[in-house]
Amino acid sequence: MLPALTLVLGGSVLMAASLLLKTGANRDVHGQRTYMALISLALLVSAGLFGYFRVVPEELGQGMFRFDDAALASERLALLGGLILVLMSWSTAPSSHLGEYYGGLLIMIGAVPVVGASNDLVSLFLGLELISIPTYVLLGIVKGDNAGAEATIKYFLLSAFASSFFLLGVSYLYGFVGSTNLQVIQSNFSGAGRLTSFALVLVMCGLAFRVTAVPFHFYAPDVFDGTSLTMAGIMSYLPKVAGFVALIRVMGTGLNSQTIEIVVPVLFVCSALTMLVGNFFASAQNNLRRLLAYSSVAHTGYLMLAMTALLRDNAEPNVLYSYLAAYAAMTLGFFACLGEIEAAGGKTQLIGDLSGMFYRRPAASLGMTVCLISMIGLPLTAGFWAKFLVFMGTIAAGTKDGLSIAMAILMAFNAVIAAGYYWRVLSKLYEKSDEYLPLRVFRPSLFVAYTICVVLTIVWFFVPAVM
Amino acid sequence: MTLLIPILILLPLFIGIGIFIFGGKGESMVGLALGASALVLGLSILLLFQVLGATDGENALKEATIHARVSFAPDWLQIRLPVSVGGHEVQWQLQFGSDGIGALMVLLTGIVGFATMVMATIQIKERLASYLALLLITQSMLLGVFLSMDLLSFYLFFEAVLLPLILLINGWGNQKESQQASRKFLLYTLVGSVPMVLGLIGIALQSDTPDRASTVSLEALSAIANETQQAAINAAAGGDKFAIPMLMEKEGWIVLLLLLGFGIKLAILPLHTWLPTTYAAAHPNTTALIASVVAKLGVFGIIRIVIPLTPLALSTTGQMLFGGLGALAIVYGAMVALSQSDLRKVLAYSSISHVGFITLGLMSMNSEGLSGATIQMFNHGIITCGMFLLLGMLEQRQGKVSLDAQDQGFASLYPKLSVLLVFFTLAGAGLPGLNGFVGELLAMTGMIRVSGIFVAIAVLGTVLGAWYGLRIVQRVLFGSSGPAKPRNALLVSTDLSVREFGPLLAMAFVCLYIGVRPQDSIQLFDQDVKRIVRISEPSSKAIHPEIDTLAQTK
Repeated sequence: MLPALTLVLGGSVLMAASLLLKTGANRDVHGQRTYMALISLALLVSAGLFGYFRVVPEELGQGMFRFDDAALASERLALLGGLILVLMSWSTAPSSHLGEYYGGLLIMIGAVPVVGASNDLVSLFLGLELISIPTYVLLGIVKGDNAGAEATIKYFLLSAFASSFFLLGVSYLYGFVGSTNLQVIQSNFSGAGRLTSFALVLVMCGLAFRVTAVPFHFYAPDVFDGTSLTMAGIMSYLPKVAGFVALIRVMGTGLNSQTIEIVVPVLFVCSALTMLVGNFFASAQNNLRRLLAYSSVAHTGYLMLAMTALLRDNAEPNVLYSYLAAYAAMTLGFFACLGEIEAAGGKTQLIGDLSGMFYRRPAASLGMTVCLISMIGLPLTAGFWAKFLVFMGTIAAGTKDGLSIAMAILMAFNAVIAAGYYWRVLSKLYEKSDEYLPLRVFRPSLFVAYTICVVLTIVWFFVPAVM
Repeated sequence: MTLLIPILILLPLFIGIGIFIFGGKGESMVGLALGASALVLGLSILLLFQVLGATDGENALKEATIHARVSFAPDWLQIRLPVSVGGHEVQWQLQFGSDGIGALMVLLTGIVGFATMVMATIQIKERLASYLALLLITQSMLLGVFLSMDLLSFYLFFEAVLLPLILLINGWGNQKESQQASRKFLLYTLVGSVPMVLGLIGIALQSDTPDRASTVSLEALSAIANETQQAAINAAAGGDKFAIPMLMEKEGWIVLLLLLGFGIKLAILPLHTWLPTTYAAAHPNTTALIASVVAKLGVFGIIRIVIPLTPLALSTTGQMLFGGLGALAIVYGAMVALSQSDLRKVLAYSSISHVGFITLGLMSMNSEGLSGATIQMFNHGIITCGMFLLLGMLEQRQGKVSLDAQDQGFASLYPKLSVLLVFFTLAGAGLPGLNGFVGELLAMTGMIRVSGIFVAIAVLGTVLGAWYGLRIVQRVLFGSSGPAKPRNALLVSTDLSVREFGPLLAMAFVCLYIGVRPQDSIQLFDQDVKRIVRISEPSSKAIHPEIDTLAQTK
């Protein structure tokens, strides 16, 4: 628990410290940015060290928290994403609310391992809300204009709505079993009937909002469009990791066949719709932010397909963790590249704004190229293995029913549709244009952020086992 | 264990990447790039002799497996995935190696790579270094496909070819069309290859049994495929009605996905529309590479993977379908070629027609047909490469070449070019004594034992083939009575230089050699073809009991 505590408590301290930060005209903004980012990085590193040197006991027990594979994997994913996100924030954080920004971000990062380690519905909900509440704050402070306000209020209302779904499902589960402990609940799944399935579907609805699955995806394009790039990066990654880890936590083990018969088709439909909606709407976009929002929706669809295989014991949670790791590297890397272009004075709102970017900003463009190839899922990038593993799990499930194979084929065609719009972005980068205004402002933190992403994307291709 | 194989794959890759990064404007890189591709050509010839030397004795011929005669499969070359299948850790050993078929394709890649490299140094004017680098990288990926001996590395290289190729099409073609063409090419290829990976995963997962971990090695998988089909057929003979349908259910969807993927790559009839657009939009030099080697990846995939690994499902579902489509493609391609006036389009459709013969040979699933398909794969590669390179030279001198234009008696203006054009046209039309004849004849002899109708249609195609071939010669070379005038005085108006003439002349000699002594080249891959036929034999026998699959021509 120490890493998560470090981050959550450290985040709270930073938030409080914002009271001490000097305000006014003659403050040293640059210094404050640097100190805040460095303190956040130090907290992340110490959290990582605590995690690395932790001794996991043989007997994990049945308490509120349980440090099994899911917990460790979610912690690694959170720290990896957190490192990149803090680096991205270094030069893009809103200078008026530095303390609140970094505090909120660290609490969100720390909440992911809380979700991952929860062995109790109460602590699980606590972790999920620890992600949501700072999100409202961050959305409000990063962009003060009308679009930002709209994004904030939209997210706030829908998130509260989704939480109520989740709580309703949880209360049903508690009603059946008489305990909020997940292991107790799961041991009672063997005698579960329709009502349990109903409760699980409600829980899935609540979590579907966090992972932006259809039909709970409507907020994503508006929020991505209305907020800053870094915030869009945060929104596309941290809630998604938490949502999927929570799904694995609640339903990953112990479902009986009657429950599976109800839950899996729901997931199938949801996954198919999520992929199709995500990809078709993304192909129709000229707005890059909205395209990325829909592409993030499409990735959720693939992950939900992996979830169906997981529920039937045909895939391991590792499939999802690997996908999320590859997703972190490619998506956050892409956002970091866009952030660097924006910090250097370029525009990134529309796809057309990237025209000829290779000749204006070669390093960021090469970074984007690698990330886009990874999103398409071609070899030499981690994205290839991410999709490959989902395919493997689904086809292993397909030995028993043809529907899984059909779903895998659907996903394959979706990947091709996705390749179409990623290629549109990719070819824009290298388009010849008449005027090349080189963008010369250099932001080391963003450069380091996407370099890490690009290197990981390529290295993971060669050693997929460490993903 | 030979180091030749990794050197062949990695040498062009590293030199290519090096040129890409440090190339600058490119003039200084010409020597290095030419040297690298000449070295690759030399190494591919060396590999050919190594494979020839490593014949496995009479004894080994009885094994029904794919077998790499020269191999490179060190223990550290394995991929561990963070999942397990059926309780086994997924730990796949990657294997590289070459049998006769692979060695022949490696040689083709070497020849075509060198020829396109030489022409590129003459024709490409802008961003030369990047072009040369991408050519080398493409070549390395292609060699990777031909030399891989397991499903995973096969697929990785198969997909990876796309990236450099798309950049080649996009960056150096017609300004307007190439962007659209490259997008079309990307999407078409992915529509085939992404679902294809499902089929490959299916094959790998089905090899997992309680006492054997899953594998991707082609040698092991082909042995398994042979056993399972044999078991199913025996059970069916013993009265078990469900044995064959059960296996069909397991393999049927796999074979359809694989055929979709490879079919798009080889541009089988309804899936061919990417081909004319791409060929017309890309630089002729790039097109030469795509038409001669990249389009053969589909054929190679069917020989390497579909026939040996899913024989039963292929002979029940795919064989007649694909054979029929191949026969149709021959006639359709030839007729469309006859009605086109843009020389690029004529050649593109003629390519569709010629690949139809290869498909026909493949789908016969007997040793003559497969030998014909294999040798024709090589022949068509050489011929079509020669044609597109000549087209490139003609375009460099005269601008766009149209068959309808007046006043183009290029024969008197460019005698050397004309001789070569006539030669390659005749080879393509299947003139006896040249290589095109050997492949087409063998493919048709193979197919006639499966279906006479398909061959009857195909024969029609040979006539049409001669027709459009001679139409090109007549209109372009002997279009007017007097000597033609170069339309653009600024362009080159001289005949071929030594650098242009040399590689093409060498390729013409290869055509002649195979045409006169086909047994030499067939001897190279004869035993490998027989192994493949032996794997698929029980299925062919069960589905078409009247056909004697292993009967030999020579």
